[in-house]
Amino acid sequence: MEYIVRTNGLTKKVKDKVLVSNVNLHIKKGEIYGFLGQNGAGKTTIMKMLTGLISPTAGEIALFNQKLTETSKSSLKRVGSIIEYPIFFEHLTAMENLHLHCEYLGYYDQKAIKQALDMVHLTGVEGKIVKEFSLGMKQRLGIVRAIITKPELIILDEPTNGLDPIGIKDMRDLIRMLNSEYGITFLLSSHILGEIEQVADRIGVIKDGKLVNEVTLADISKQRTEYIEIVTKDVQKSVFVLDSELQISNVKIIKDNRIRIYDLTLPQSEISKTLFLHDIEIEEIQKHISTLEDYFYQQIHGGGKVG
Amino acid sequence: MEVAKLGKLMMLEWKKLKQKMVIGELIIYWGILMFLPIFFIKMISTDFGESYSTIIQLMLSIQMGFVLFGASLINQVVIDEYKNKTISLSFGYPISRKKLVTAKVLFISLFVFGCTIVSFFLTGITTYLLDQIFHIIDGQPTIADLTTYFSKMIGHSFMITLISLIPLYFFGVWKRATIPAVLCALFLMQFQNFYYLLNIDLNLDMVNVGLCLLGAASVYLSIKLVDKVGDL
Repeated sequence: MEYIVRTNGLTKKVKDKVLVSNVNLHIKKGEIYGFLGQNGAGKTTIMKMLTGLISPTAGEIALFNQKLTETSKSSLKRVGSIIEYPIFFEHLTAMENLHLHCEYLGYYDQKAIKQALDMVHLTGVEGKIVKEFSLGMKQRLGIVRAIITKPELIILDEPTNGLDPIGIKDMRDLIRMLNSEYGITFLLSSHILGEIEQVADRIGVIKDGKLVNEVTLADISKQRTEYIEIVTKDVQKSVFVLDSELQISNVKIIKDNRIRIYDLTLPQSEISKTLFLHDIEIEEIQKHISTLEDYFYQQIHGGGKVG
Repeated sequence: MEVAKLGKLMMLEWKKLKQKMVIGELIIYWGILMFLPIFFIKMISTDFGESYSTIIQLMLSIQMGFVLFGASLINQVVIDEYKNKTISLSFGYPISRKKLVTAKVLFISLFVFGCTIVSFFLTGITTYLLDQIFHIIDGQPTIADLTTYFSKMIGHSFMITLISLIPLYFFGVWKRATIPAVLCALFLMQFQNFYYLLNIDLNLDMVNVGLCLLGAASVYLSIKLVDKVGDL
């Protein structure tokens, strides 16, 4: 399997504070890899190291099988990125910013700028100074800058920040299109799990600077379980009735008023009827399928919400 | 090859600047310094007009004003880039941070040096022409005066360039603080006057050498620090 991003023992410390610890990341060519982690988990720090913005304290980064160091950054030519939020020289026009970017990379294809602007529907504003752009427009201009030189890997930190619902959908479609039509590999981070769920092939869960797990969404789907969740004030009695009357013992009490039944051999109506006949007041009964959110919650907190 | 790359990076530094603002500022500096020697003779002391050799000493010292211009460039080329986070754009390119910051320092240095040289010419020519019209300075410039002026012009511009880089490390790259950088430049600009006013007897040449060494150390430390910390 060809990995275009590999890290080995990647660590970043700042004044004795460990921001990232011993991360071994593997991103395959052509996949969309999603970073999941709470705020301050270390996602942005890892992305900054992958894009050469900061140097690791320890460990190694290999991009396209080339070691990335401060003196050997040529592999960054093949990478486009937006880290934290799209940054521009606000007093310059969109076009001047894009030209500047191309000049730094030694890339002089005039058509590429127009193509990239067309791709994100940002034509007609090239001559406008960036200061006058909305956050959504800046986000799209950031994408233009990231794709202009036709990189093989694009790293986007919270790419949907500041976008309206239509903008979010456009961004998702753009990522999917660039991935499927041009084979561009993506590394994305987002605090919106649904966003990652809709585009990513694989996710890496970051907790306290450590990569807790790398797993494909297909594997998570396989692990997903269905359950019936009951909300009632009489939890103990409900569990007793379920066990004695319906022989359902695969249950879990969640909080003081919630029960999850993982044994789905009996229909929901049968369960509610039985509980009702035993004078148990049911506030809510519903069938659920565990989500990526449940998986993420479990990875971060090691239980509580069970998938 | 490396020189060409650095040249290109310096050109890109210019493209990133608020050019109209820099040019406007520069015109103000040149405009003020052009007329300052005659203003001194007319408004402060006629002693400055004793001879061309006297006025040349004044013309040399007033060019220290470009130390302040250097602080303004440090603010735009370094501090603003950190404050606006645009520095992280540069660090994301396949160019070493050392080379990027070297290009910034060279850009500031060459700009200050070049502008000071131009200012020397403008001040010299303006003072001479106004003297020819209004007869303000006693006598005419001798060959020795001209030789002194042009030879010192290079050395002084070089010295001013190095002194202007003193705020770069502490107030520029490390603290990223605009106002202290400007105040530091103002202090350096007036340094010679302070100990003259306080009647402190110091060897002026030694002081200038010391300040130049401080400027060189500031450049060295700035490059080392940027290379080490990157975008943090």
